[in-house]
Parts: sequence; structure tokens; C-alpha cells
Amino acid sequence: MSLNYIIFRNLRKNLKNYYLYVFALVFSVALYFSFVTLQYDPSMDEVAASTKGAAAIGASSVLLIVIVGIFLLYANTIFIKRRSKEIGLFQLIGLTKGRIFGILSAENSILYFGSMAIGVLIGFLASKLVLMILFKILGVDAITKLYFSPMALMQTVIVFTMMYLLIMLMNYIFIKGQSILSLFRVSATSEQQVQKMSFGQMIVGVLGIALMVYGYFVSARLFSGEAMDMQQLMYTMILILFSVILGTYLFYKGSVSFIFNLIRKSKNGYLSIHEVLSLSSIMFRMKSNALLLTIITTVSALAIGMLSLSYISYYSAEAQAKESLPEDFSFAQANVKNRFVAELEHKQIAYEEKHREPIYIEIDAHEVMDASMTEQYLFSSVLSDNMVDNIDVQPGEVVFMGYGNAIQQLISIQEKGPIVLHGLKHRLAQQLIGTTKHGVLPAYYTGGTPVAVVDETVYQQLKQDIDPELQKADRADYYGVRIVNEGQAEDAYAVYKEQQLEAPSFSQIEFRNNQRNTMGLIMFIVGFLGLTFLITSGCILYFKQMNESEEEKSSYTILRKLGFTQGNLLRGIQIKQLFNFGIPLMVGLSHSYFAVKSGWFFFGTELATPTVIVMIVYTLLYSIFGLLSVWYYKRVIKEAL
Amino acid sequence: MWILEAKKVHKVYGNKLNKQEVLKGIDLGVSKGEFVGIMGPSGSGKTTLLNVLSSIDRVSQGTIDIEGKEFTGMKEKQLAEFRKHHLGFIFQEYNLLDTLTVKENVLLPLSITSIPKQEAHRKFEQIANELGIYELKDKYPSEISGGQKQRTSAARAFVHEPSIIFADEPTGALDSKSASDLLGKLSEMNSTRKATIVMVTHDPVAASYCSRVIFIRDGQIYTQLNKGDESRQSFFNDIIKTQGVLGGVQQ
Repeated sequence: MSLNYIIFRNLRKNLKNYYLYVFALVFSVALYFSFVTLQYDPSMDEVAASTKGAAAIGASSVLLIVIVGIFLLYANTIFIKRRSKEIGLFQLIGLTKGRIFGILSAENSILYFGSMAIGVLIGFLASKLVLMILFKILGVDAITKLYFSPMALMQTVIVFTMMYLLIMLMNYIFIKGQSILSLFRVSATSEQQVQKMSFGQMIVGVLGIALMVYGYFVSARLFSGEAMDMQQLMYTMILILFSVILGTYLFYKGSVSFIFNLIRKSKNGYLSIHEVLSLSSIMFRMKSNALLLTIITTVSALAIGMLSLSYISYYSAEAQAKESLPEDFSFAQANVKNRFVAELEHKQIAYEEKHREPIYIEIDAHEVMDASMTEQYLFSSVLSDNMVDNIDVQPGEVVFMGYGNAIQQLISIQEKGPIVLHGLKHRLAQQLIGTTKHGVLPAYYTGGTPVAVVDETVYQQLKQDIDPELQKADRADYYGVRIVNEGQAEDAYAVYKEQQLEAPSFSQIEFRNNQRNTMGLIMFIVGFLGLTFLITSGCILYFKQMNESEEEKSSYTILRKLGFTQGNLLRGIQIKQLFNFGIPLMVGLSHSYFAVKSGWFFFGTELATPTVIVMIVYTLLYSIFGLLSVWYYKRVIKEAL
Repeated sequence: MWILEAKKVHKVYGNKLNKQEVLKGIDLGVSKGEFVGIMGPSGSGKTTLLNVLSSIDRVSQGTIDIEGKEFTGMKEKQLAEFRKHHLGFIFQEYNLLDTLTVKENVLLPLSITSIPKQEAHRKFEQIANELGIYELKDKYPSEISGGQKQRTSAARAFVHEPSIIFADEPTGALDSKSASDLLGKLSEMNSTRKATIVMVTHDPVAASYCSRVIFIRDGQIYTQLNKGDESRQSFFNDIIKTQGVLGGVQQ
């Protein structure tokens, strides 16, 4: 029986305990490899050309490696601690530290490079799937095929070998730094002293919640309160981040045990088995893991938030296209329009034409706007009600159209009130009678501000009295073409593409596709990173629970000796895990909800559906780890007696 | 001739501001083939003494030799080499590797020496039969009882025939039947193999198996008892008496 044999045996036996570590490693490598493969895949060229896809993927692969790196290093610290006794024992029987390090490295290298090989294989097979998903999101009609990239393999091997060396360095420092005695004691000292709740902790607890609520409150008013310049905006955002993150930390440090303590007090010493297992354990554990939990929460909030925002944007691409381009096709030049329309007729595609002639004026709207905006006039385009369907205003009345989500947040205008239209010489006092999101001119004409729709007579009056400096010759005419039969919209778009039309001609479909393309790629990348993060943080929480279950094994033994059944204990554990996994999740979800809520309107038109979908998917995936940990506990409880 | 000799051993814990002297100049000798017990009340320093004697903790002052080799000043590498040949350990909580079978656990100390395979197997058979664990050789630690685990751990300590074996509360986690079994085996090995054993215990029954018992109080040797030709029972009574005089409340 040689030492090599022992290494091998140990490894095989340990694999059982390490399956999640191995899984995480395989998964990370697979993810990274398929991601990098994407970067080198020739069929990506099409995507890359339009959206700088390769650069984006390259940049995010760096981020991916950072997440995976932190995770692997963390997992390693947990696993080497679990083996500290073994290391101590090897030293006792006369192995030098150098030799033990050698054994560990050899063992790890088999585990590590073995998983890496499997990971590359899976990544290779998965890369086609990944590419198919990406193409589907982007709406690219390209045939995907398995593509093996030696460059990607090399990059993966280099990156993960460096990671391996880093892990080995960490192990080396650990082994060097520990004496035999401390190795035998490592597992014992990780347990922290249980103390009474102090007054200071209560303050910390209250402060944690207060800071988070304050952060939420400020974020909700970020864009709806008084207008801020860029610098103020930045400071406010930093303030929000700071108060929410610090609040989260204090929340774990104090609030959780504070709240649980209140519950415990109210029970007056009579704790049910479920409470013994859940309340008391979490109270003391959360505190010592505050930093880790804060990081996990913050980054999950970030992942959920980004995912929601990009999904919102992807999801509302169509609605947004309609909002910013009122008709299917819009032209600023009559000859371009005529050529297009002629072709439509040739192809027998039925259409409707709209012609609008915006004039540009300044509006004094200080009576209907916030106090902070009164110094400036509102630069706006004006249309006659004759040019707009379904609207008929009386002389003296104005309706603001195209007053969408984003502009609402930047310029807040009341529904009704007096405004003054400024001509070159005359001023026309009018009454604003309403606003609507519905757009009548593309942003190309309006510059984002609402369009004032007035009565024909008022329009003519203004037209006689226009300020030539405000007019734009190339934006004086708007020709909108609407395809009557929606099913033919794509055919019409084919014509549009064939004629190679460009701005100032616009197509709704093109706008929507562009939006989907850009946001789709961002969503894809964020989704990829979010998934990695989800899995790594889930694993970290799981590893923590694995450790905890073993540290608490003795209490299970006692409880079972006292006559509690496995079922009793398991019920308590389930509640405990609900909190252990649920609290970080809830806090993360709530953070991301407020983050998304404060700025979602810049990204799209629909908040609820995409955000809820993202959150549900995240929660489902995340709860797998909770279930896994309960399952692990089940085993520990079973073995406890 | 001492096989183990400690001279003026001091051990101080803590920093400059908060010093705690656990061992205050202990002189101690153990000769070949002795079975020495170390007793004392909680916090008297008996485990610390065992740790420094067995090289797993460093002394603050003083020297310790085993078989004429002073190891207190050795470097880590030499120390490892020294442990490999001269020391064996038995712990209260066994410290077996869960991933190895009983046989593999026992052979662990031999696997890092250059002993031929045949020889190693022979040694295992001999020691396993003596300790009554031969039938268990292919089982894993999780499948055997506490007493069997401790006998496995003892076999591991004896198998490479070290100069001296250190046992830290070996019976601490065992029921009385397994404890007396183990102690019987230990004293048997002590007499048949002429193995030298130093054992820390707080149990007077366990101590009564020894040939000599050293009592520690407040980091110093308080007194010692020799069994001589007494019966175990009367030696046990002596130990109880001395403990009474020592006054420490037992754990």
C-alpha cells in the first residue's frame, strides 16, 4: 500500500462529498468554454458585424472568470478546512508539510483537470445550443453547427490552469501557516460564541432596516422628484447604493437576529422543535456570515435587476417601436416616399398615407410644469388636429401627444392648465386639455418632447407667424405609410430593405429588430452571467449549509435521543432552510425591484410582466439549492443516531 | 536510562500583556518499557504537557530528548522524519481517516517508510490479531464501534514500532467495557512488546493500568506513584487517595 494508492483511494471516496464542487467546476468550465467558443465562432460574424457581439462577449467572459474565480477560491477554503484533520494526521505520522502539499496538489490536479476535461466536452456540445438560443433571441436565421475552436480551448485551459495555481498557492499558505494543534482545532473554532443580545445590536438591527428603507425611498424619487443635473444624479445614486448595501450588511449583522429575538422573547422560553432548529441557529449564523451574505445579495440583486431591465427592453421592443414611429414606415422626403409607395403598389400591398407638416415653436408651459423647469421654454413641434386621426380640439385647446414613459420622468406636465404658444411676434394663450402616450411624429422630428396638437385655425395662425430660426427644413414634412394588412408588413419591409433606405426614412420593423438585436445580445450576456452567478452563489450557500449540518450533528443526536423523530427534525430544518435561502433571496429581489422601478422607463414600456417572469425564473432555479441542502440535512439527521 | 527526558519545560500562552504560564518548569523522565499515566485536575496542564512531549506543540523553554535526540530545536523537516520513526499517537476522538479501511488506516504509518510490502502485511496481521481487529480489516471506520475504532487507532500507533506512544484520554469517549478492553490490550502490549506508553487521563481506573502515575497541578509535578508489585486494585486505591489530597475536582 503506497502513498499514491492512498491518494487515489482518498480521491475516489471524497468524490462523493465533493460532487457539488466537481459539478460547479464542470459547469464553470463548460460555461466559459462555450462562451469563448462563441467569440471565435465564424457564424457569429453576422451578429458581430451589427452589434459588436464579439467584443461584448469577450468583455463579459472576463467578468465570468472573476465570478467563477472567486467562487472556486471560496469553495476551496471550505474544502481544505474540512480536511484539516487529515492534514494534521499526515503530519503526525511523519510527513513533511511539503510532502502533504504535494499530495493535496496531486489529488486536486486529478480532480480539477478531470473536471476540466469533462467541462470542455460539455461546453463543446453545449456551444451549439447556446448559439441556437442566441440566434433565436436575436432573430438571426443562420444555421448553427458544432464548431470546435482550438483558440477557445487554449484560452480555457490557460485561464483555468492559472486558477488552479492560485488555488494551490492558497493551500500552500494554509498548510504552512497551520500548526498540528491548530489543524485539529480548526473545525472547533469556527463555531462562534453564543451571546446575549446587546443594546448595541438592537441599534444595528434597527439601523439596517432604516438604511434600506431610506435607500428605497430615495431611489423611488430619483427621476420623479425635482430634476437634477448629471452630477447630482450621480451623487444620489452613490448615496442610494451606499445606504442600501450598508443597510443589507447591518440587516444580516443585526436585524435578522433582532427580529428573531423578538419572536423568541414572545415565546417566553417555550420553543417548539421547529423553532429550536430554525430560529436559534439562524440568529447566530447569519451574523457571522454577514459579509458573505451581503455580497451574495448585492450581486444577485444586480443580476436580477440587469436581467429585468434588458428583458423589459427586449420585451417592449415592439411597443416602443410603435410609440416612437407612429406609422409602419416614415419618410421625410417626398420623392423617397413616392418611390417606395410605387413599389408597394407594384407588389399589390395595400397602404394608407399620412402627411403631416410640423412647425416648431417655443411654449411657455410653466403653469403646468414643476417649479424647477420654469426658466426655460419648452421647445415643441405643433400639428393641426386635421393631420391627426381621432382627435378634434376646439380653438384655444391643446393636446400633448407622444408624451411617453421616459419623457414623463424627465419633464413632468400636468394634465390640464394654461400654456402660451410663442410665435415670432404674437403669443397665443391656450388651454392644455390632456396628454397621451400615443405618438404622431418620430423622435427625429420632435427631439423627444411632446407634440402639441392644436385646432386648424390656431395652426394656420402660428404658421403665418413662425420663427424661421426654429424651423428645420429637412424636418418640415412627415410622410407616414401604414400597411393596411398587418400580414404584409414584412413584405413591405422587404421592399424597404431592397431600396436600401436609410434615415431620415424609418421602418417600425427595422427599429424593433434593431432594438431586439442589441437588447437581445445584452440580455443573453447578462442572462449568462446571471446564471453563473446564481449557480455559484447557490453552491456557496449550499456548502455553508453542508458545514453547518455537520457542526450541528451533535445537537441532532441529542434531540433524537430526547425522542424527536427524523420527521420532526426535518420539518424544523425545512423551515430553517426556508429562511437561510429565502432571506437573501427576498432581500435580493426587493433590492432589484426598487432598482428596476426607479429607472425602468428608459428601457421600455412594460414593467410588470418581464420583471415578474425574470424573478420567478430566478427564484425557481435558486430554490433548487435550498432543496439540495434539505436533502443533505436529511442524510445527516439519519446518520446522527 | 531514560527513553524520554524533559528538562525544565516551560510553556507560556498569550502575548506580553496577557501571559498565561501553563507549564512551570517540569522535569520528567520515562524509561524504556514503562507505562506512564499523567493525571491532574482540569486546567492543570496535563494535555499541554503531552502535546509538548509528543512534539505537536513547541516548548517555550527547556529541552526534551527522545532516545537521546533532542527535538525541541528541530526544523519542521527533521521533526517530520523524527515522528515517522519514533512516535505513535492515540487520540480521544480516534482521528481515523473515514475514506480508508481499517487495514489501510493501520498501515498508514508504514506506507511512508520504505518497508517492503510483505513485511508490512506481516506486521499488520500480528498487531491486528493482538488487538482483535483482524476480522474488521476491510471495514470502514463508519461501520465499526467506538471501541473498535480506538483499537484500530492503537494498532496504527503500534504498527511501526515507535520508541514511544502518546495517548491523550484514549478511553474518554468509550463505554467502560470497551475502555477496560482497550486498557487491558495496552498494558499487554506494554509488557509483551516492551512498548513505552505515556497516557493522559482523568480516569483513576484507566490510570490504575499504568506502572507509574504522575500527578500534575498548576503546571508543576505534584507527586508520583509507582505501582511496583501492588495489585491493580490497591494501586487504584492509592490513586484515589492521592487525588483526594490533590483536591482538584475531576471533570
